[in-house]
Amino acid sequence: MSTSIQYLLRRLGFYAIAAWAALTLNFFIPRMMPGDPASIIFARFRGKLNPEAMVALRETFGLTDEPLMGQYFTYLKNLLSGDLGISIAYFPQPVTEIISTALLWTIFLAGTSLIISFSLGTLLGTLVAWKRGGRLDSFLPPALAFFGAFPYFWLAMVALFAFGFGLGWFPLRHAYGDAVTPGFNLPFIIDAIYHAFLPALTMVMVSLGGWMLSMRNTMITTLGADYITFARAKGLPSKMVMLKYAARNAILPNFTGFGMALGFVLSGALLTEIIFSYPGQGYLLLEAVRAQDFPLMQGLFMTITLAVLGANWLVDIAILFLDPRTRR
Amino acid sequence: MYSIHCIYQYALKLSPMVLICFILIFNCCTQHEKNSGPPPFVISQEQVSSFVRNFNPLIPSGSSRWPTISGIYEPLFIYNSMTGIYVPWLATGYEWKDGNLQLDVTLRENVIWSDGEPFTANDVSFTFNLKKTNAALDPRASWGYLKSVEAINNHLVRFKFLRIFVPGLHALTEQAIIPKHIWENIEDPVKFTNPDPVATGPFTEILRFDHQIWELGRNPHYWQEGKPAVERLRFYAYPTNEQATIALINGEVDWAGNFIPAIDRVFVGRDPDNHHYWFPRVGGSIFLYVNTTKPFLDNIEVRKAISLAINRELIVRVAMYDYTIPAHPTALADGLAPWRSETATENGDWVAYDINRANEMLDEAGFKKGPNGIRLLPDGNELFFDISIVSGWSDWIRAAQVISQNLKMVGINTRVKTRDFGAWLSSMQNGEFDMGIAWTEKGPTPYRLYRGLMSSEFLKPVGETAEVNWHRFASDEVDSLCIAFEKTSDRDEIKQIIYRMQEIFVDNAPAIPLFAEPSWGQYNTKRFTNFPTAKNPYAQISPNYPPENLLVLVNVEPK
Repeated sequence: MSTSIQYLLRRLGFYAIAAWAALTLNFFIPRMMPGDPASIIFARFRGKLNPEAMVALRETFGLTDEPLMGQYFTYLKNLLSGDLGISIAYFPQPVTEIISTALLWTIFLAGTSLIISFSLGTLLGTLVAWKRGGRLDSFLPPALAFFGAFPYFWLAMVALFAFGFGLGWFPLRHAYGDAVTPGFNLPFIIDAIYHAFLPALTMVMVSLGGWMLSMRNTMITTLGADYITFARAKGLPSKMVMLKYAARNAILPNFTGFGMALGFVLSGALLTEIIFSYPGQGYLLLEAVRAQDFPLMQGLFMTITLAVLGANWLVDIAILFLDPRTRR
Repeated sequence: MYSIHCIYQYALKLSPMVLICFILIFNCCTQHEKNSGPPPFVISQEQVSSFVRNFNPLIPSGSSRWPTISGIYEPLFIYNSMTGIYVPWLATGYEWKDGNLQLDVTLRENVIWSDGEPFTANDVSFTFNLKKTNAALDPRASWGYLKSVEAINNHLVRFKFLRIFVPGLHALTEQAIIPKHIWENIEDPVKFTNPDPVATGPFTEILRFDHQIWELGRNPHYWQEGKPAVERLRFYAYPTNEQATIALINGEVDWAGNFIPAIDRVFVGRDPDNHHYWFPRVGGSIFLYVNTTKPFLDNIEVRKAISLAINRELIVRVAMYDYTIPAHPTALADGLAPWRSETATENGDWVAYDINRANEMLDEAGFKKGPNGIRLLPDGNELFFDISIVSGWSDWIRAAQVISQNLKMVGINTRVKTRDFGAWLSSMQNGEFDMGIAWTEKGPTPYRLYRGLMSSEFLKPVGETAEVNWHRFASDEVDSLCIAFEKTSDRDEIKQIIYRMQEIFVDNAPAIPLFAEPSWGQYNTKRFTNFPTAKNPYAQISPNYPPENLLVLVNVEPK
């Protein structure tokens, strides 16, 4: 088992270096964009603010002429102490405060739909591969591939228009209604699920096909292996062969994919969130980039980076248990 | 295995039923809207994905919630762009003294802060002196011309000036006034979010604040008897124009200031009795800026010829849905019409559509057409310019496409180039563009408009950021006119200065006016009435021009 720990530590070291590289890029790339935040905020007023206001704006945001390298080290130092700075677009709100509420909603919406789509897709892939050539196999893969080919935001717009605006079955916007008070109470939870239903549905529909197809394909390869024939020859129940022998091996590539997707949950729902006015990270990111809100951008990219790396590390651990070969 | 398949098929048959059940359950659980009291007045002004609780009226970046400076807090006077007068608000009058080096402002006497404390001249002097110690809170750079602000007695404030600067009156009167007894205890007023405002405005009580919705209730001590008639304001977070438009069409919003394409069909058509809009042209004009540092475009006759080649009627119809009208030669829209000079209007005959004359003028200027029908520069290269527009600003993109086609008719080759806002702005401000469509400075007189267009005060070399004067044009005479304007409070003298500025503008064509800029305003009369209209123009309807929208907030009434 000590080798496993060594393996995990080695991976952890690798992730630490990757995190540093990503955080460095987070700092420099936004600053390479043309324009500066004070000018953009000034121009947003479209002539209603005097040019004299620029001095005040720079003063407010504490924009300095300090050399970039100096700013970079201050940034790293602040990061280590958990200080992400003050947002420019939402001045004077600390970035951590803005991100924390948005983060919860994004994790709730995108996380739930990812888990649903992953588990459902993998299960369907298993079934379809087990009964390959059957009715399900000839219908599901092309149907889901068809939905998967739609851009997810387009499907979201159609769903919003048809079921929200046209039929009025689902709310048009937001994560919960006006009548409920946020907190741990039943009406609020039901309302939150109701509001998340349509956006989650569109996200599941688009991604389901991918999970199912990749599961089906690896599963079919696995089913041709000798040990499956052996398991059948032993007379094991077919459910056991399907789940414990074939699916357990076939799920490994899907699981790595799941880890990646889990990390990208934080950024992946961007357009869906905008279409459904969902108060998550997606719109925040768009707004931060538009306003050149460096602190907010850095904060958002950092959460995404850490989520991707963290999820991958968790997958590393999970694979350690699922696949004995990595333990050697 | 067989059983799994069975369950799956069963589930497939059941799923529509389950979906319907879901919807029923959700609807039952969520349709108990709190219906206590009169309906809230729903306003859509900000487009955000979630609200941040910030009611600091002094932060210049506009990151505090609407209507912090035009509903919660109030100014001394409100400039009414429909009537062109300063409406006395927290003040009752002002007087210039000492050769325009001193301004005495008399305050209203019966005003009370929402916590019951009386409003006095000390609050006004405190507000201005706080801006002195915190440069970040002084976006109008008032302390560039102010010497001191002091309370003479409870209801008289005296502003002393370092130098004569009469236009400063506008900035001084429109400053939101804060209570001294609250803010003197605030350590850092720049970073103070002021979560529970104490103010003089018609609406001061935060009844509810969530990220997606918040409500603002009436000030129990409001100084205007019987006003406001509206009990509470409600705001929803709509992140995009589309979402706000859907809400407006569905009748969920009572008042908004959005751009809506084909509004007669999309919005009014849904409920012609209650859905209304009014787009008065109070502001300036939208311009085609040409970079006067580039060869060809540095020629006055060429700029006038370009203007003559542009079919403004078509732009207004195709790009602006006929919401506005082609620009006046002086670039002064209806709101500033009383300032128009006759001479300038006559001389500005280049703000028209005349392809033949445009071609003649370009021929005369010596730019002959080459073999491809495109005019050539003296070095033999074909003319080619980019028209820069912000990507996604579809109205202006269409306008630029019309201009591009128009210019082809006179032998000028152009390409419409869309860029992201930040990149577009930076190229415009740094003078690294050929042509681009943009706005102008706004103000109660045309002074700021022409100063921004022609004064050397904000002129920067190409490559450096210029906040205004992106096209890089300066006139010495305008500089001296600006100085003269700043020194006088005499109405006739001001008028003569503005006339002369207009003449310089039409003689030099530093930028090309396209169409008058409308101010967007939509309202729904299902639950509320007494909105300003073209027939009852007591203010402009748009909520986008604080503090003027205060006039609407106190006058709207429930039906």
